[in-house]
Amino acid sequence: MMATIGPVKADPYPWPYDGTVPATRTALICIDWQTDFCGKGGYVDSMGYDIELTRAGLPATARLLAHAREIGMLVIHTREGHDPDLSDLPANKRWRSAQIGAEIGSDGPQGRILVRGEPGWEIVPEVEPVAGEVVVDKPGKGAFYATNLDLVLRTHGISHLILTGITTDVCVHTTMREANDRGYECLILSDCTGATDPGNHAAALHMVTMQGGVFGCVATSDDVITATEA
Amino acid sequence: MPTVYAKPGPFSFDMDSTALVVIDMQRDFLLPGGFGESLGNDVSQLRRTIAPLAALMAAWRAAGLPIIHTREGHMPDLSDCPPAKLNRGAPSMRIGDPGAFGRILIRGEYGHDIVDELQPLPGEEVIDKPGKGAFYATDLSEILEKSGIKALVVTGVTTEVCVHTTVREANDRGYECLVLADCVGSYFPEFQRVGLQMIAAQGGIFGWVAQSPEVITAIQE
Repeated sequence: MMATIGPVKADPYPWPYDGTVPATRTALICIDWQTDFCGKGGYVDSMGYDIELTRAGLPATARLLAHAREIGMLVIHTREGHDPDLSDLPANKRWRSAQIGAEIGSDGPQGRILVRGEPGWEIVPEVEPVAGEVVVDKPGKGAFYATNLDLVLRTHGISHLILTGITTDVCVHTTMREANDRGYECLILSDCTGATDPGNHAAALHMVTMQGGVFGCVATSDDVITATEA
Repeated sequence: MPTVYAKPGPFSFDMDSTALVVIDMQRDFLLPGGFGESLGNDVSQLRRTIAPLAALMAAWRAAGLPIIHTREGHMPDLSDCPPAKLNRGAPSMRIGDPGAFGRILIRGEYGHDIVDELQPLPGEEVIDKPGKGAFYATDLSEILEKSGIKALVVTGVTTEVCVHTTVREANDRGYECLVLADCVGSYFPEFQRVGLQMIAAQGGIFGWVAQSPEVITAIQE
């Protein structure tokens, strides 16, 4: 018997729009759970933000990851970062990070900031990928631009996405918007996301729910686990 | 090089490589009695952008600079409308249904076109997009590359949906984006405020925010 998900108690409608979805057509996307965004000495820490805010979703995400692996969902991890020679770093992105005192590519306590292969760029142990899971390396905020994510999803027959990660208003929202335009039915989890500004976290979640779910729905990880039929 | 007072810091742009982008100023979203209002939205929140935008477009054209307009909409047979977009949330009115100004958000219908005050001139690009972002499934990237555009002055509606999605796409592609607070609008004042705040947060994570009179002065100097 194949596991199914839905209807999930969600805002603004029971998710997904088409009632229930086989777990095998659903992907769990874990966005940028990297030391640079939620670890000590990483990029976000260096900019002076409170990493407890970006770490808040880790326990719930770890629990949901275990559940997703058990029921056979495709799990995809993303990492934001740049080539060591910074050839894929837009000039304005570099300039802005320098303005705020944490220039991408410069040396920090966790190695060169947001550079592929450095300690700060790695995914934190609580939610690290297991062998065989897809890891998408992205140069931007969105996980679709300049990556093979769309191809990977289509190759696996995925039509529905469950989104976790950081930060809610930046990389998670950008990826959700890209996915929504591409026709994927999206669910973002309020307890598996987080932002450097709690107000932006709340507003980003609220935006999803407007106009009948302009980008999809909001729920919690427990809602997803409860709505799973093994 | 014109420089504009902006958040989080001054924004300078090269007149030869900057385009004005006017997003989805369509009758379906802006006219009283249209689709937007039928969903219970206050269209005056969007209509306040028309006058400043008309003034900006006049100055922009007078300076000989390029304008790119976008329209959200779908083919009459809805073959480019994802099922999730069409069916989610059991809407009272769906894309493709008959509305006050023709079939809702369908290309070629009166309501799908741009409001009279801001109509494109012959020769200006009009991008028809099936999604919220103006880059996905359109030729916007190719147009910008071909014309050597590096920076975008972004206006239109709505702030937190199509404007934000397009700015996020542009930013990932390396374009500098200046969003004009008085020329973008949301049905919801709270999202207008937080939408603009998110753009300029963290040292300008998605771009810069300014007011249109600043830009008009800068390009006339």
